[in-house]
Amino acid sequence: MLRGGLIPKRPYVISGASGTGKTILAMQFILEGLRHGEPCMVISLDEPPNEVKANMAAFGWNFDRLKILDATPDIRAHKRTRSVIDVGTTLDIRDMEEVKDIRQSQQLRTMEVSIHSVQKMMKQEFFQHYEKTKEKYQRIVIDSLTALKMFSLIGVDSRIMIQSFMRFLSELEATTYIVSEHLEQEAVETEFFLARGKIRLHKWLDGSTVKRAISIEKFRGSGFDDKMRPMTISKSGISVNPAGKIPLNSTVNGGLGAQFVETRLAEQVTKSIEKGFELVGECRSSGHDVSRPEMELTRAMLMVQRGQPYEAMDIVERVRQQLELMLPKPEKIPPPPPPAPEEARGI
Amino acid sequence: MNVNKIGTGIRGLDKMLNGGLVPGRAYIVSGPPGSGKTILGSQFLVDGVEGGERVLFVALEEPPNELKYNLRVFGWPIEGIEVLDANSDIRRFEPTPILEISTETEPMKFSAVPDDIRKTPDFESHEVSVHSLQQLLKTLLIKRAYTRVLIDSMTALRYFCMKDFEENVSTQSFMRFLAESKVTSLLTVETSEASEIAPEAFLARGEIRLYRMRDESGIKRFISIEKYKGSAHDEDIRPFDITAKGIVVHAN
Repeated sequence: MLRGGLIPKRPYVISGASGTGKTILAMQFILEGLRHGEPCMVISLDEPPNEVKANMAAFGWNFDRLKILDATPDIRAHKRTRSVIDVGTTLDIRDMEEVKDIRQSQQLRTMEVSIHSVQKMMKQEFFQHYEKTKEKYQRIVIDSLTALKMFSLIGVDSRIMIQSFMRFLSELEATTYIVSEHLEQEAVETEFFLARGKIRLHKWLDGSTVKRAISIEKFRGSGFDDKMRPMTISKSGISVNPAGKIPLNSTVNGGLGAQFVETRLAEQVTKSIEKGFELVGECRSSGHDVSRPEMELTRAMLMVQRGQPYEAMDIVERVRQQLELMLPKPEKIPPPPPPAPEEARGI
Repeated sequence: MNVNKIGTGIRGLDKMLNGGLVPGRAYIVSGPPGSGKTILGSQFLVDGVEGGERVLFVALEEPPNELKYNLRVFGWPIEGIEVLDANSDIRRFEPTPILEISTETEPMKFSAVPDDIRKTPDFESHEVSVHSLQQLLKTLLIKRAYTRVLIDSMTALRYFCMKDFEENVSTQSFMRFLAESKVTSLLTVETSEASEIAPEAFLARGEIRLYRMRDESGIKRFISIEKYKGSAHDEDIRPFDITAKGIVVHAN
């Protein structure tokens, strides 16, 4: 789907609702790196490393050589006198191999996580590792930025913070996966527009079975497969069927989250608008004035864009009815002509 | 083509614009991520280069080395485009003074852009603010007499460079500045799927909007002229493709 893979040294975003397989996709990306002997790093903000380890063991994957930074915040101390310490100043990155139990919050001080501390920690590890081995980290996973945005002390200028963090990732020259949940469809999220690519995972119910799909939403500097493709999660991880098709209706009836259905609905309305335009063409060639319905269809298209698919659908229906009235009626098969008088005469 | 207008480098789009753009004005190119805004803007600059003009790419969203890599596939003469790296450095958290983008920063031709990303220096961080960028552009526009400028993107400028300023007022002032400079400029604006009208669009002399829709057969792209002051224009939404040679608008 990516025409051969990712362009290295750039940050990419993996998005999707919860439970769509974002972490698995990211860990499989890491696994591929480890197989080639590349140094890899995972910044775990959502789950403590011990849980990540257990979850991944189910696939039989070995992550012992992976460096993992436990950036899950502690239980918050509620007493005001206790100072909050950034995670970077006390924690260390460790090999996945050494990961055992959940880290216990300390009695006297608790650790908070901020973009600053994570960045500092990563930088330290990056350079220490380089000094030791003369190798740079080549693959990094941030799982997830949503956690950092929602729970950390990010402050008011969060956009600038994220911009700076993405710049930091670019300058590390590692290929990075940033896992991020879609919170609001409306907002232009900083990480989405700064990322050089966006892979989106989908999940919906078809009857009683869960269906999954994957799509590439954006990939700077390369062409890509722009269709949504079926995806499965099995014992050996994620596999994508690059030739598979996703029937449009299956997702609409599926009753997945309203947002997704709305998107699919918008797509469907767009299709009927296109059909409407075809009708307009036919009507024009039979000499009708179609400027009005044409304008209405364009308006419907804009309404889809502005998130009003239902209203747009009404317009399209109306316009199509009008257009169909204009079209020349399919001629009725003429009844067999009465015997021609000439013929009769001929006989 | 109308003698008073300049081309966009995209034939179908020129047709929709009734001959091209009225020069010396600021226009918006809006659309969701991945809709082709940067490509459209670059094509506009390439058209200038091919006509022997001096053109400037103000890169606020992507580092120039990546732009160079990404645009290579189209086989355009991008070497002649001058690019100003207006990407902010990594931010420093220590309370050391942050330097604004230095006014000695110079645009460079794409041919001189290195393959690797510029690294934030150890002891100082440069930050781009709308104010410093405007100062810098002002000198550059006088010194180098650019005729076409691409600001990619206004969204980045608004999000990351207007920390201490009121966003709408700064945007208005920046666009006023471009208009007074008499340069023809394209400003890209990122919109979300369900988009509201951007304030830039309200201020611009024209808005070219890109749409990106997904259906069973893949991604479909459309383009429309939402606004064009002082000129007649095509009022329809037209399909377009991103081909190996760039954007092709099917104006019929």
